[in-house]
Amino acid sequence: MNTTASQFRLADYGVVRSLDDRVVAGLAAGIGRRLGIETVFIRAAFAVLSFVWGLGVVLYLAGWAATLDSVSDSDVDTSEPITAPQRLGIVMIFLAVLLAFRAVNIWPGDAVIFPAMFVIFGLAFLFDRRAIDSRSALLSLVETPEKPGRSRTVVGVLLVIVGLGIFGGNAAPQFGSILIAVAATGAGLTVLFGPWIWSLAQDLGVERTERIRQEERAEVAAHLHDSVLQTLALIQRSEDPRKMVTLARAQERELRKWLFDSAPVPGSDQLSTAIQSVADRVEAEFDIPVEVIGVGDTPFDEVTTPIVAAAGEALMNAAKHSGAGKITVYHEVSDDTVEVFVTDQGKGFDPDSIDGDRHGVSDSIIARMRRHGGSATIVSEPGEGTEVALSIRRNGT
Amino acid sequence: MIRISMVDDHRLFLSGVKAELEGSVDVVSASSDIDEAIDAIREHRPDVVLVDVHMPGGGGLAVIENVSETNPDVKFLALSVSDAAEDVIAMIRAGARGYVTKSIAPEELVDAIERVHAGDAVFSPRLAGFVLDAFADVVPAEVDPEMDQLTPREREVLRQIARGYSYKQVARRLSISVKTVETHVSNVLRKLQLSNRHELARWASNRRIV
Repeated sequence: MNTTASQFRLADYGVVRSLDDRVVAGLAAGIGRRLGIETVFIRAAFAVLSFVWGLGVVLYLAGWAATLDSVSDSDVDTSEPITAPQRLGIVMIFLAVLLAFRAVNIWPGDAVIFPAMFVIFGLAFLFDRRAIDSRSALLSLVETPEKPGRSRTVVGVLLVIVGLGIFGGNAAPQFGSILIAVAATGAGLTVLFGPWIWSLAQDLGVERTERIRQEERAEVAAHLHDSVLQTLALIQRSEDPRKMVTLARAQERELRKWLFDSAPVPGSDQLSTAIQSVADRVEAEFDIPVEVIGVGDTPFDEVTTPIVAAAGEALMNAAKHSGAGKITVYHEVSDDTVEVFVTDQGKGFDPDSIDGDRHGVSDSIIARMRRHGGSATIVSEPGEGTEVALSIRRNGT
Repeated sequence: MIRISMVDDHRLFLSGVKAELEGSVDVVSASSDIDEAIDAIREHRPDVVLVDVHMPGGGGLAVIENVSETNPDVKFLALSVSDAAEDVIAMIRAGARGYVTKSIAPEELVDAIERVHAGDAVFSPRLAGFVLDAFADVVPAEVDPEMDQLTPREREVLRQIARGYSYKQVARRLSISVKTVETHVSNVLRKLQLSNRHELARWASNRRIV
C-alpha cells in the first residue's frame, strides 16, 4: 500500500468531476452521476449548505481537491437509477446533517435557512439544466399537460411559493408587508417567466439574422436570374460560337463588376475606368474580345479626355477592319505623359495608301491628338497587324 | 512529349483543358483537390504543373510550396481566372515560372508549357502590366538596385509584352534575338521572386482587382 491510499479520495469511490456538465468544476455532476441523483439537486444541496456560514462552499472546495477530472464523460459508468426508498434516505441524511448543525448552533437562524431551502429546491425542481427549453415552468403547466414534468413543476412552484411566503412572513415585521409582498411577487414572476422571456428574446435575434440572410440570398438569386441564367439560356440557343464567346465575356465582365465593385470608390473617374468602359462598349458592339492592361492611373479630366476618345476610335477601327481575334489596349501613365497603345494582330494595311475609310479615320485620330497637343503614330503593314500609339503630355502643353 | 499535371478545383475546366491538350502534351494526372494533387505530383513527377490560383484549402500557393520542398525540379505555370495582382504576384514569388489567364487559346497554352519546360518565364500581357506597375516608382538609394529595379531594356520588353506582342514579335520590333527576349524576361522573373523591395508587397496589397 502506498501513501496515497491512506488519504481520503473521492475518486476511489467512483466520483470524478464532469467535464461537460459543469458550473464551477463539475463536482456536483460527478456526485450526482455516482449517486444516481439529478445534478441539479446536488447543486441545490450545496447552495443550501452554503447558507450555513459557507459550509457548502467549504465542502465543495474539499470535494474538488479530492476528485479528479474525468478523462471523458462517456468513460464514466453511470449508476443505476436509485430506488425511491434510497432517494428518501439520501434526503433524510441531508436533513439530518442540517439539523445536526442547527443542534450544535452553527446556524444563522431558521428564518434564513428554511426559506432558502424551499426556494432553492423549488428552483431545482423547476429548472433542469439539461432539459431547459423555450417554455417557462409555468407555461409548461398550462400548455403541455401530457408532459411528465408537470407534477415536478407543481412541486417546484409550491416550494418556491412556500419559501418566499415564510421569508416574507419572517421579514414582514421589519420591512412592512407590502414591500415584501411586492418583492416576493417580483421574484416569483422573474423565476417563473424569466427563462421564457430570455429564450424568446434569443429566438427573436436568431430569427432576425435568419431573415437578413434570406433577404441577401433572395437578392443574389434575383441578380443571377436576371443576368447569368439569361445569358446561359441565350448561349444554349446560339448557333454561332463567336456570339457565344461574346455573350460569355460580357457576362463575365458584368459579374465581376457586380462581385468586386459593389461599392464604387468615390472619385473613381480614372483614366483606367474610362478606357475600360470604351473597351467594353466596343467589345459588346463588335463581338471581339478587348484586353485592357494598365500601368499607373490618373484622373479622367480635360487633359485625358481626347486620348480616351482617340483610343475609342482606334479600337472601333481595329474591330471593324482588322479581322483580328482580339485587341489589346495598353495604357501607361508616367510622370509627364499618358500613353495609350491599341494593338491588333489582324490583317493590317498600308498607311501610305490613300483609299479606304481606314485612312480617313487614321487621319482623324492623328488630327484630334494634334489639336490637343498630343501625338498619334499609326504603324501597320499588310499582314502584320496594326498599332496605334497615342501620347499626350499631362501638364498642359 | 512533355509530361504535365493539372490542378484545378473546377472539374469541368479540368476535363476541357485536358481534352484540348491531348496530343500536344502528356497529361499524367489531373486533380481537383490540393492534397490529392500533391500526392499525384510526387508520384508521377511531371515536368510541368498547370496550377489554378484559387482553390479551397490554401490554393495553388499550397501546392507550389509543398511540392517544391520535395521536388524542386518540378516547374509550375499558374493558370487562373483571377486577375487580382496580389494573387498573381504571390504565385510567382512562391516559384511559379509564369502566369496565364484561363481564356488563353489552346495553342498558346501549349506554347507556354513548352516555354516553362525549357526553363523560360511566361509573361501574359496582364502579368507584364502588373510587374511594370509594381516596379514603376523610383527606388530609394539604399535598396539593392540590381534586384530591385528593372533595366530600361527589361522595361521596354515588358511594355511590348503588355501591348499583346509575342516574344518573337518583341524580338523583331526591338531588333534583338528571341533568346535575348527570353533572357530579359527570365531576369525579370528572378527579380520578381527575389526582390525584397517593400513597395512590391505594399503595391500588391493596395491594388484592387482589375
